[in-house]
Amino acid sequence: MGPATIVFWLASAVALAGGLGVVLFKEPIRNVLSLVLVMLSLAVLFLLLSAQFVFAVQVIVYAGAVMVLFLFVITLLGPVREQGTVRLPWQIFISAVVIAAFAGFLVAMLRGVSYRTPDAADPIFGSVQSIGVGLFTDYLFPFELTSILLLVAAVGC
Amino acid sequence: MIRLDTPDPFGIYSNPVGHWFVVVIAMLLLAFVLITATAYVVFFERIALGWMQRRPGPNRVGPGGFLQLAADGVKGLFKEGFAPVGVDRVLFVVAPGIAVASVLLGWAVIPVGIWGSITYWISDLNIGILLVLAVSSMNVYAIMLGGWASNNKYSLLGGMRAAAQLISYEMAMGLSLVPVFLIVGSLRLQDIVGFTVHWGPYSGPIPLLLLAPVSFLIYLVAAVAETNRAPFDLPEAEQELIGGFLTEYSGFRFFMFYLAEYLGVLTQSTLIALLFFGGWYLPLIPGAIALFIKVVLLVFIFIWLRGTLPRLRYDMLMRLGWKALLPLGIANVLVTSILVVLLS
Repeated sequence: MGPATIVFWLASAVALAGGLGVVLFKEPIRNVLSLVLVMLSLAVLFLLLSAQFVFAVQVIVYAGAVMVLFLFVITLLGPVREQGTVRLPWQIFISAVVIAAFAGFLVAMLRGVSYRTPDAADPIFGSVQSIGVGLFTDYLFPFELTSILLLVAAVGC
Repeated sequence: MIRLDTPDPFGIYSNPVGHWFVVVIAMLLLAFVLITATAYVVFFERIALGWMQRRPGPNRVGPGGFLQLAADGVKGLFKEGFAPVGVDRVLFVVAPGIAVASVLLGWAVIPVGIWGSITYWISDLNIGILLVLAVSSMNVYAIMLGGWASNNKYSLLGGMRAAAQLISYEMAMGLSLVPVFLIVGSLRLQDIVGFTVHWGPYSGPIPLLLLAPVSFLIYLVAAVAETNRAPFDLPEAEQELIGGFLTEYSGFRFFMFYLAEYLGVLTQSTLIALLFFGGWYLPLIPGAIALFIKVVLLVFIFIWLRGTLPRLRYDMLMRLGWKALLPLGIANVLVTSILVVLLS
């Protein structure tokens, strides 16, 4: 088991623990911090896939900016625990059905997958240069469309 | 990972255990040097502020007050780490740790030239300075969580101010670096430091300050704002918020925030030296000394600003960030791109 495998299992475990934390903690601030943990461990997984640039963007944009805005709103609420709401009588039954259906989808999708070690990545794969060239040649049209969308959102008509 | 640009006489880098051994030793050495240097940044600031305010500054402990910071450090270590009633225990303790970690981690990609072609670095990543920006953006969590967990309205206000300020100035900071990337064609700090020009008879290294002066100005302002130093120290603002997010902190936890702030000053000074002043290149002077001189001068600029300028009001801070620095940064990127295309 190489260091990459150990890092993979650690990062996956932290990501799953963070995901559970988002759902299970009662204090809103803990939920937000768990989500930050998920974002950061996903960034580590990107790094394992030789996607250094995506790693940096994940940390800067999601963990560093988007989640800070979440936190900004949550901190204004003060240290309150979420009150228990009234449970619907058939809630447990419905959630069991949804979980079973989702697990069924996952099993069905994973049945045909054969596992193999991934091919060794190109040395320039995931580098800033290759992503830059990709954005301005092969993916120019979607890139410009996204830019216009973001510009419209930023100007706010 | 860490590599001195010299032959490998004992085959130590090709041996995985030896490699990790070298990396761990290098990291420990770096941490030791950085924390000691940070203590002397604080000492330098107190002496320099003393000169500016026409008073002696610390001069009692050791020769010329030189051991003042060692005494302060020992005192901080042994003071009671007091936590008031009603704080969120976990986050209250974690926040100072995040503050120090977010600054120290950036040093993973910061190279230091020692002598001739010998350089010292921990990791050589293709994304280079983006890693520094990424980990230093985690600093906002330290301040916000510290402010929130203290269960004090002044602390909370300090934390909120910090969040708004850091997000606004991160944009300007990132944009100000784009012209540097355009000119050099790489994000690796080694490439940026080693950038050379061939202009007629002159062929050699050039400080990027001459090619991207507007970038330097925007970066300097954004760096002062990112380290929460005067005139941008609104998150602390003693006169209106007591101590902002630091109000409830004492003892060792306070010292960790303090360490993080001055480590931030040191990191940003080193980055500015590497990005805009040619790093460890200075004619006739060995690399380590040249870098040291540049970093000391830049740290002095940080102190000088603190000694000179009054604190900005909150709306002035936001106006400067969004209505002055950001448009200027975008214009800077545009003009530099056009020039790079025309001249190449």
